[in-house]
Amino acid sequence: MQAVNERELVERCRSGDEGAFQELIDRYKDLVFALIARTVQDRSRAEDLAQEVFLRIHRGLPYFRGEARLSTWIYRIVANVCVQEQTRPRAPGASVSLDDARTGERVVPPAADRQFGDLELRDRLEKAISRLPANYRLLIAAHYLDGVQYDDLAEALDLPLGTVKTQLFRAKQQLRRLLETELK
Amino acid sequence: MFCDEALDAIEPIAAGDLTPDGRIADHLATCPNCAAALDSARRLERMLQARPVPRPTPQFTSRTVARLRRVRWRTEQFLDVGFNVAIAAIVLAIVGGIWMLLNRSGLAAVSSDAVDLFGSGMMALVRRVAPSVPLYAGATAVLATALGLWWWAERDATL
Repeated sequence: MQAVNERELVERCRSGDEGAFQELIDRYKDLVFALIARTVQDRSRAEDLAQEVFLRIHRGLPYFRGEARLSTWIYRIVANVCVQEQTRPRAPGASVSLDDARTGERVVPPAADRQFGDLELRDRLEKAISRLPANYRLLIAAHYLDGVQYDDLAEALDLPLGTVKTQLFRAKQQLRRLLETELK
Repeated sequence: MFCDEALDAIEPIAAGDLTPDGRIADHLATCPNCAAALDSARRLERMLQARPVPRPTPQFTSRTVARLRRVRWRTEQFLDVGFNVAIAAIVLAIVGGIWMLLNRSGLAAVSSDAVDLFGSGMMALVRRVAPSVPLYAGATAVLATALGLWWWAERDATL
């Protein structure tokens, strides 16, 4: 049923129905934005890139043969956009260091409450993730979103299932190393 | 069993993809380093699962559609310019071809008479229009400013 709806939607988009394309955006925007925003730290940049993904979808729809699921094809576009973003030249000082939070003067309450600790931990987790290679970041971002399966990732990234799992485990090993102190 | 072997299985165990069999389970029960690694892997797993899911702004769809329209409009403009240039080139080629044909076929004299006739007609037209030139120039300037403002507003409109 879902596949039929998807095909119909694609056909309507192809015929130039703008309402259908809006429907497509509404259907996939949460997924696309979440994937990108988890890979790219800057929120406005993430929104810009998510829009770019939909522009590419619009351009590419006439050539979408329907051999893969639409969502898989969209993951592939997101992956390409994220990798291109990674290779984009950056402004000096734009790299993130895990030690950013440690350098400079910080005022830590003597009895830091749990919420503060959680926030700080989350912040350090995000910084650690941002230090991973682009493909690992994307895997971590996608794997921990509802509904994204190993198979979807394997198909989208054009990798064998085993490789996806191995890369994901390696990504988590790297994260554990980066967060060694925090995870103790 | 060595720690290396157990450590390779830590991530799959923490993710729930692998159930530790007898040997691994025994090792994890007796090796404090590997047990600590499994604890930290499980903690990381929980942190990753609890990671907040970023949501797009409510205007995301309308902004994307607006951007799509702008891109489409620019593409059409580009095509229009290309089409106009192509038409101009074709007209020029045709005029040039006719002129060359006239030259080669000895009809140049006739064509020069036609050119003279055209020239004198144009001069008469210019003499008639000349008094209104400032008015036309003013109107053209107002139109150009309006078009320029429209183009600028369209280009810089907030997404």
